[in-house]
Amino acid sequence: MIELWNSLPVVMQILLKITAILVPLLLLVAYYTYAERKVIGYIQIRIGPNRVGWRGWLQPIADALKLLFKEVVIPSKADKALYLMAPVITIGPAMAAWAVIPFDAGLVLSDINAGLLYVLALTSLGVYGIIIAGWASNSKYALLGAMRSAAQIVAYEIAMGFALVGVLVAAGSLNLGAIVEAQAGSVFTWFWLPLLPLFGVYLISGVAETNRAPFDVAEGESEIVAGFHVEYSGMAFAVFFLAEYANMILISALNALLFMGGWLSPLPQSWVAGVPLLDDGFHWFALKTGFFMFLFLWLRATFPRYRYDQIMRLGWKVFIPITIVWILVVALAVVYRLPPWWSA
Amino acid sequence: MLENYLPILIFILVGILVGVGSLGLGYLLGPRRPDQEKDSPYECGFEAFENARLKFDVRYYLVAILFILFDLEIAFLFPWAVVLDDLGVFAFWSMVIFLGILVVGFIYEWKKGALEWE
Amino acid sequence: MGFEKFLFYVFAAITVLAAGMVVTRRNPVHAVLYLVLAFFSSAALWLLLEAEFLGLVLVLVYVGAVMVLFLFVLMMLDIDLATLRAGFIRYLPLGVVIAVVMAVQILLVVGPGNFGAEQFPTPAAAAADVSNIEEVGLLLYTDYVYPFELAAVILLVGIIAAIRLTLRRRPGTKYLDPTQQIQVRKGPDRVRLVSQVSTAGLREEQGARDVAQSQEDGSA
Repeated sequence: MIELWNSLPVVMQILLKITAILVPLLLLVAYYTYAERKVIGYIQIRIGPNRVGWRGWLQPIADALKLLFKEVVIPSKADKALYLMAPVITIGPAMAAWAVIPFDAGLVLSDINAGLLYVLALTSLGVYGIIIAGWASNSKYALLGAMRSAAQIVAYEIAMGFALVGVLVAAGSLNLGAIVEAQAGSVFTWFWLPLLPLFGVYLISGVAETNRAPFDVAEGESEIVAGFHVEYSGMAFAVFFLAEYANMILISALNALLFMGGWLSPLPQSWVAGVPLLDDGFHWFALKTGFFMFLFLWLRATFPRYRYDQIMRLGWKVFIPITIVWILVVALAVVYRLPPWWSA
Repeated sequence: MLENYLPILIFILVGILVGVGSLGLGYLLGPRRPDQEKDSPYECGFEAFENARLKFDVRYYLVAILFILFDLEIAFLFPWAVVLDDLGVFAFWSMVIFLGILVVGFIYEWKKGALEWE
Repeated sequence: MGFEKFLFYVFAAITVLAAGMVVTRRNPVHAVLYLVLAFFSSAALWLLLEAEFLGLVLVLVYVGAVMVLFLFVLMMLDIDLATLRAGFIRYLPLGVVIAVVMAVQILLVVGPGNFGAEQFPTPAAAAADVSNIEEVGLLLYTDYVYPFELAAVILLVGIIAAIRLTLRRRPGTKYLDPTQQIQVRKGPDRVRLVSQVSTAGLREEQGARDVAQSQEDGSA
């Protein structure tokens, strides 16, 4: 088996690994949409989709097939090339960011030193798909949604970047695997505790960056119908949809890796070494990611939409001061080796 | 170092391919029956008037320019965060001065009301 | 080695092509997007030079921020293509003069003598565990700390200039301050308790039907 693997050309190996990441990811996206409808359904005392297949389990597949056979309407005055390019620009980075995500100790496609910087650079590209879609559609609602969401993403990207700097200071490395290893110990040495304010900022900025409720003014069904993708239909719409959910899963995975110890077990290593299920492993990472994914849905079902000026205020006037102060606090603790976390 | 970036290059290409592939599939399988009403821009029940590409408030421009300046700040913070443990106190205080100067700018911004959204 | 060279030529060709499109496209939005492509492929070229940090920061800052500003500006201005084209002929002589002067200046500084692979020894490839960012950091905050602080001052000037130039308040906007809004307290600001005069005396004067009605209202 291993000989067969090693005999394959390198590019073939890489392509197989990418398939091994993307296929489960796309399946997860499909069932995340199903989970969203079910979870929100139960929160609102409804049962959600239950017609297609057993308890609606085939619903996402039915949705995908439906979208596949729908017409891709291109508005007559749209900039055709850009109009079709926008979804591709949105999904490309949403997929490619997974290249540096470690799933378990050493289990990562590309173990680059600048992992976190790469993720930040790729997520900063997400705004292009939205602006281009809004502009190319040649529709007022689309352009309004695009401008709103661009200004919002831009504001929260700063807060997000500052929060990440705090993580870097604490871990001393940009490599995502090394950041997880730096949290080793127990649930109390994970970064969520010493970096609690940054954790909160990152969590909320993540919701704002993905344009999810309560920060979904870019879509705002009840005011600007669907925002930047109002003119999109069929598969063109489906690609935007895929990218949005893939980004939500990505942000959840990053939350798990940066603040919740990734694949580390919450119990000290000396207690659980070798014990199945309790020891470190992929299942912990999946569990933590799943928790944050659930949180996205929970937030959507709970909070009403923020008003635009409130969103901008939160991003600029609350989050940025918090992060600047806390970066300096953490840096001080690292430099002067203050206990309990940096006494070593 | 470069061998680590080969998978990334391939991944970006595959990511773009996923987008192009699904769009192409939709284009092949879906019907194509354009008609004038269907292809006109969305409006709530009336004919679209004026150009859809509206002019925006200059405020958006200000937000974007402030974003660039803070983004540069983050770019400076990244290498600092990585080497802080090696360089110690000196690097810490040099960043305190750096951030101090920029906080002056931030306070100015705040007091001038550039962060208010009317 | 052969593959690396191949990649270099691919990205170099994309960069040059995209840069050419930037100056020839009629539609300014298309031009900006080609500029984004040019930056992107330049970032790939820098990565090929093992300048990991610069390559990624180029994407983060130029593609992720500066070009977004360009797009904002283009979308905010109502660009009339006809007047732009008229201006092109008028400013052509001046533009050519400036271009020639710049070309001469560049040639004087980096003449043909500075080019050619034989001028430079091939640097050794860095090992996989060498972190480019660490190397940058170790120099930037020690040897180059003075220019680093100057960068902060330049950024400060940028912030102040941007605000002075573009900030204007529109009179008469109906503006709510969210900071004040969230300070609304439950007790005195939101709910006002008004003490009602007891209705005991009134009820006797009203008919029995009205009493039943008011009780129904009370229970509803």
